[in-house]
Amino acid sequence: MAYPDQIWIQAASFAGAAFSVGFGAIGAALGEGYAAGNASEAMGRNPEKSGDILKNMLIGQAVAESAGIFALVISMLLIFFEGHGEPLVTAFAFLGAGLSMGLSAIGSGMGGGFPAAEACQGIADNPETQGMLTTNMLIGSAVCQTPAIFGMVVAFLLMFMDFSKIPLEPGWAALLGGGFAVGLGAIGSGVGSGIPAGSATRGMARQPAAATTIRTNMLIGSAVSQTPAIFGMVVAFLLIFLDWSDKPAAPYWAMLLGAGLSTGLSAIGPGIGNGLTAGEAAEGIARVPETSGPVTTTMLIGQTVAQSTVIYGFLVSLILLFIEREASTTMVAWAIPLSAGLCMGFGGIGPGVGEGIAAAYTVRRIARDQELNVLLTRVMLVGQAVSESTGIYSLIVSLLLLFVI
Amino acid sequence: MGDITKVPQWILNLGGMEFTLNSETLIMSWIVMGIIILFAVAATRRISFLPGSYQTIAEVMVSAFQGLVNDALDEGNRHYFPLIMTIFMFVWLSNMLGVIPFLSEPTKDLNTPLAYGLLGFFISHYAGIKTKGFKAYASEYFQPMFFMMPLNVIGELSKVVSISFRLFGNIMGGSIIIMVVGHLVYSLVLPPLLNAFFGLFVGTIQAFVFTMLTLVYISVQTK
Repeated sequence: MAYPDQIWIQAASFAGAAFSVGFGAIGAALGEGYAAGNASEAMGRNPEKSGDILKNMLIGQAVAESAGIFALVISMLLIFFEGHGEPLVTAFAFLGAGLSMGLSAIGSGMGGGFPAAEACQGIADNPETQGMLTTNMLIGSAVCQTPAIFGMVVAFLLMFMDFSKIPLEPGWAALLGGGFAVGLGAIGSGVGSGIPAGSATRGMARQPAAATTIRTNMLIGSAVSQTPAIFGMVVAFLLIFLDWSDKPAAPYWAMLLGAGLSTGLSAIGPGIGNGLTAGEAAEGIARVPETSGPVTTTMLIGQTVAQSTVIYGFLVSLILLFIEREASTTMVAWAIPLSAGLCMGFGGIGPGVGEGIAAAYTVRRIARDQELNVLLTRVMLVGQAVSESTGIYSLIVSLLLLFVI
Repeated sequence: MGDITKVPQWILNLGGMEFTLNSETLIMSWIVMGIIILFAVAATRRISFLPGSYQTIAEVMVSAFQGLVNDALDEGNRHYFPLIMTIFMFVWLSNMLGVIPFLSEPTKDLNTPLAYGLLGFFISHYAGIKTKGFKAYASEYFQPMFFMMPLNVIGELSKVVSISFRLFGNIMGGSIIIMVVGHLVYSLVLPPLLNAFFGLFVGTIQAFVFTMLTLVYISVQTK
C-alpha cells in the first residue's frame, strides 16, 4: 500500500513520542522507587526524623524525575508536530529523536535515585548533617542528569533541523544511528555517575568533617563517568552534520547505522564501570579521609583504563564513517559493516564493567591500607589488561570484518 | 512554537570578514554584567563596621565561597577566589534572568557556557603548570604508562564538553519546557510553578555545580 509521505512522517512522530516517554519512564521510576524504599527503611531506623526524611525523599525524587520530564516534553513536541511538507527523511529523524531521548533518560533516572536514597539513609544515621546531605544530594543528582541532557540536545537537533538537503538514502541511517549513539551511550554514564553521588552522600553522614574532600572526589568521579556518553554524543554529531549526499545508499546505510551502534553499545559498560570505581573511592575517602590522595589517583588510573573499550568502539565508528566503499547491493556488503559495529558494541560492554569492578575493589583496599598503594595498583592494571582481552577480541574481529573479508 | 529554533543575530562585515553575533545573548550578558557591577558598587560604596543591606549580602556570599575555595585549594592558589566568585555570580544571575518576562538566559546559548568552560580549562592548566612546573605537569599525561597519553588527553578535553553541555542543556531544556507547557495550557497557572522549578531551583543548582567543577578542576591540576 502506498501512503503519502506526510502520513509516514506523522506515524513516525507518534512512534518517536512513544519511544521517548516509554523508555524514558523506566529509569525515573526505578530510581524513585529505590529512593522511596530506602526512605522507608531509614524511617524505620529513626522514626523521630520521619518528617525530615520524607521531605528529603520528595526533593530527591523530584530531581531524579527530571530525566522523565525531559522525555515527556520531547513526546509532547512530537505528538503536536504539524507537518509542512517535510521530506520523508524527517520520519527517521523523529524516530531517532524519540530513541535518543528515551534511551538516554534510562540511566539518568536510575542514577538520580542513588543519592536520594543514600541521603535518606544518611539523615537517619546522623540527623545533624541533614542540610549538608540534602545539598550534596541535589548537586549529585543534578550532575547525573547530564547524560539525559546530551540525549535531549540531540533530540532537539533531530526535531528542528532542516532536512531538505539530506538525501533519504543513506541519510535515514545517519539520523537513526545518531539517535542510537547518544541514547545507548548515555545509559551507562547515567547509572555510573549516580553511584559516586550516592556513596558520597552517605559518606558525609559518617564523616561530616571531610565533606569537602568527599564532594571534590564525587564531582571528579562523576565527571569522568560521563566521558563515555560524550563519545556517543560526538558520534551522533558526526552522523548528523557530515554530508552523506554523494555516497551510494548501499552499503553506506549499514556503515552509518553500525557506527552509531558501535559507540553507543560499547559506552554502556565503561560508564557503569567508572561509576562503580568512583563510588568505592568516595566511600573509601569517607572512611579514611587521609587517604584521599592515593585513592583519587588510583581511581583516575582505573577509570582511564576501564574507558578503553569505548575508545575501541569510537575507533570502529570512525573507521565506519570515513572508509570508502564501492556501491554494492549484495547482502554481504551491508551485513559486514553492520556486524562489525554490533560486534565491537556488544563486546565493549563486559570489559568496561569488569575493569571497573577490578578498579573498585582495588580502590576500596587502598583506602584502608595506603601502604599497599603501589602493589595493588600494579595488580589492578594486570587484572584489567586480562579482563580487557575480550574487548580486544571484539576489536580484532571487527577489524577483520572490515579490512580482510 | 516556531520560535524555538530562531536565533536573533547581527551580521557585521569588517574588512571582508563576516562576523555573526547572537544579539540576544550579547544584550542579556551585558544586562547581567551591568547588574553585577551595580551590585558591587552598591555593596562597597560605604563599607562600614555595621554593614548595610548590600554589604550584608556581599559578605554572606563571599564568606560562603571563601570557605569552599580555602578547603579546595592550597595556600598558594587562593588568589583564584575572585574568579570562582565571579563565575558563580555571572552564571547564577544569567540563569535567573529567564524568570523575568521579556528577558532570556544568556546561558541558553551554547556559546556562553562553552566560553566559561574553556576559560576554566585554560586557567586550570595554567595554574597546574605554574604550581608544578612544566615538566611535572607534562609527565602526568604519561601516568601510569606512556601509552596512556591519548586517553589522558581525551579525558581532559571531555571535561570541557561535559561542563558546558550540562549547563547549556539544563537551561535550554528548562526554557523550552516552560514555552511548550505554557503554550499548551494557554499560559494559565502552570508557568509560574515551572519558572520557580527550572529558573530558581535548577538554575541555582546548575550555577553551583558549574562553579564547583571549575574549582575542582583547578584543585586537581594544582595538587
